[in-house]
Amino acid sequence: MKYAQYGMPMFFVLISLIYFILTINLPEASLGDPNAPRYFPLMVSVFLFVVSLSYLIQVIRKGEKDNPELKQLFSKRILFLSISTLVLGVIYSFLFLRIGFIPSTILFLGSLLFVVNGWRKWITNIIVAVIFTFVFWYAFEKLLHISLP
Amino acid sequence: MGIDLHSIMQGFMTVFQPENLLYVMFGGFLGTIVGMLPGLGPATAVAVLIPVTFGMDPTSALILMATIYYGAMYGGSVSSILLNTPGDGSAVAATFDGHIMAKQGKAGQAIAACAIGSLVGGLIAVFGFMILVKPLAHFALAFGPAEYFWLMVFTLSMVVSLSIGKMNKGFISMGIGLLISTIGVDLQTGVYRYTFDIPQLSSGIGLLVVIIGIYAVGEVLYNYLTIDKAKAQKNKLGRVWITKEQWKRIKWLMLRHGPIGFVSGIIPGSGGSAASMQSYSIEKQISKRRDEFGKGAIEGLAAPETSNNAASVGAMVPLLTMGIPSSGTTAVMLGALIMLGLQPGPLLFKNDPNMVWSLIDSMLVGNIFLFLINIFMVGMFVKILDTPPKILYPLILVLAFIGTYTMNFSVVDFYLLIIFGIIGLFLKLFDFPIAPLILALIVGNTMEQNFRRGLAPSDDGFGIFFGSPLSITLVCLTVLSVFYPFIIKQVQKKKNQKNINQDENMQASD
Repeated sequence: MKYAQYGMPMFFVLISLIYFILTINLPEASLGDPNAPRYFPLMVSVFLFVVSLSYLIQVIRKGEKDNPELKQLFSKRILFLSISTLVLGVIYSFLFLRIGFIPSTILFLGSLLFVVNGWRKWITNIIVAVIFTFVFWYAFEKLLHISLP
Repeated sequence: MGIDLHSIMQGFMTVFQPENLLYVMFGGFLGTIVGMLPGLGPATAVAVLIPVTFGMDPTSALILMATIYYGAMYGGSVSSILLNTPGDGSAVAATFDGHIMAKQGKAGQAIAACAIGSLVGGLIAVFGFMILVKPLAHFALAFGPAEYFWLMVFTLSMVVSLSIGKMNKGFISMGIGLLISTIGVDLQTGVYRYTFDIPQLSSGIGLLVVIIGIYAVGEVLYNYLTIDKAKAQKNKLGRVWITKEQWKRIKWLMLRHGPIGFVSGIIPGSGGSAASMQSYSIEKQISKRRDEFGKGAIEGLAAPETSNNAASVGAMVPLLTMGIPSSGTTAVMLGALIMLGLQPGPLLFKNDPNMVWSLIDSMLVGNIFLFLINIFMVGMFVKILDTPPKILYPLILVLAFIGTYTMNFSVVDFYLLIIFGIIGLFLKLFDFPIAPLILALIVGNTMEQNFRRGLAPSDDGFGIFFGSPLSITLVCLTVLSVFYPFIIKQVQKKKNQKNINQDENMQASD
């Protein structure tokens, strides 16, 4: 955790460098000034590099304040909640068009509720997952006339 | 110039159509409910509820979104008072005295004072809006590409400079927003930029994907950190009205802080948080009861509440007249307007004046409606605070996914939503201000187009950017906004040093 404070500024320095390299390698425009698509991104990349570097120097000189929230994120329970949510999100994205809105949403919302609300409240979780899936479906499909798969 | 009575009356006729009145009420209810939920502010409320406006008539959509916005401002104060958990920065000042009042068994009086202050602030600001909006829109027509470029730079620098104590992070956040705005096909030359041969990226990253990802998904992930903590004790409401004596104490101060909040809202980057804090400290300095501040003084609650609601209306002035959002929430609203095919700015007044005036009039009606529901129905609303977050957060996540899908009907946006959710989480964890990122993302494209348009007809290259008095004024204001916090810091330091020296001299002479 001690070196985690350097991670964020270094990440931004790296991003600005990659962005700069990608910008100078952009294809030339066939119409008008060939460098026109590069001007603004070049300005942004230089600006981002300067402010990120200054942030890195600031962290090295003064150190970041102790970040209890970051430590908390890496606690077993919160890490489990966060990663499960993201993984379930990816699975939902994969299933959404394949099996349709209603089954995929009942599965996604139900699983999320089991992860976040716990297994003991399984009746509540199932009822909420089923009812709210149909509420959302009705609101978008029937009231707002937005087609869902 | 001045107040255009004919347009105002026409606007009222549109607002009083049953359909639009229904949207005012619906938006008011939804905004209040979402704003009341601990940890969720007006920006999240608007972001999560944007999909509700899809397929609607643009005027109705605009009315609905604006009501959601200030409905959330009203709602945020209730959770500040009852739970001591403000939904966003602008509701923080309500905790100073509001929560203390609730602890003293005066929660109903505190909520009533908030509602009255918000109503007065809102009404003052709407009248200010009516007076200012036309001359400002007219003034904005004088802006050329170079002036617009500097106006956007100025707005961004203001937003960043107000991130007190974390300007560097604000600038990084802004840089990332500008970076994201350059992804996709360059519209002037057709060059593909940073798309990595992914066809879905050719039209750029959807603004709302970023907004919903950061504000909804990121916010839920961040709120996981406190999900297992014991729920804050909800204080009992009691009678929701103020006493005669309390009315006497707040009636004049509301007239003071309405204009303060309105002006603060107009200034880019200032927004409701700065307005409410400013009003709190001004009132504390001039009040006869300054000793009671922080101990449940009704003045300490009414002043910031009047101010922040006036600021939320004031923030709509630069948004509608120049297309410049002045806060995170108005940035989210601008994104939604663009999605609806509207381009806020002076031409909006020329092309569709009825839409703009309907919106302004709806604010008047909406504020009165919100006042009524906050007084008479708050008992029902506070039951929302009993909803367990463990059920609420999964529901917000599902709504975020569905909302994202309805924009492009593409599941690729789901993956982007997850990525921006993670980015949002880390930005919050490392205390990066998010408003500059959203603002930069929104204005980035227009900024680049104006920058290049400014360069195009000019033989002296960058000289065109300093060619008019307006451009030079904006450059000076930008420089001033960047250095302002340092100047203030130095002045404060000198003042403190002077005080210490004086104390030492006095001790020595004793």
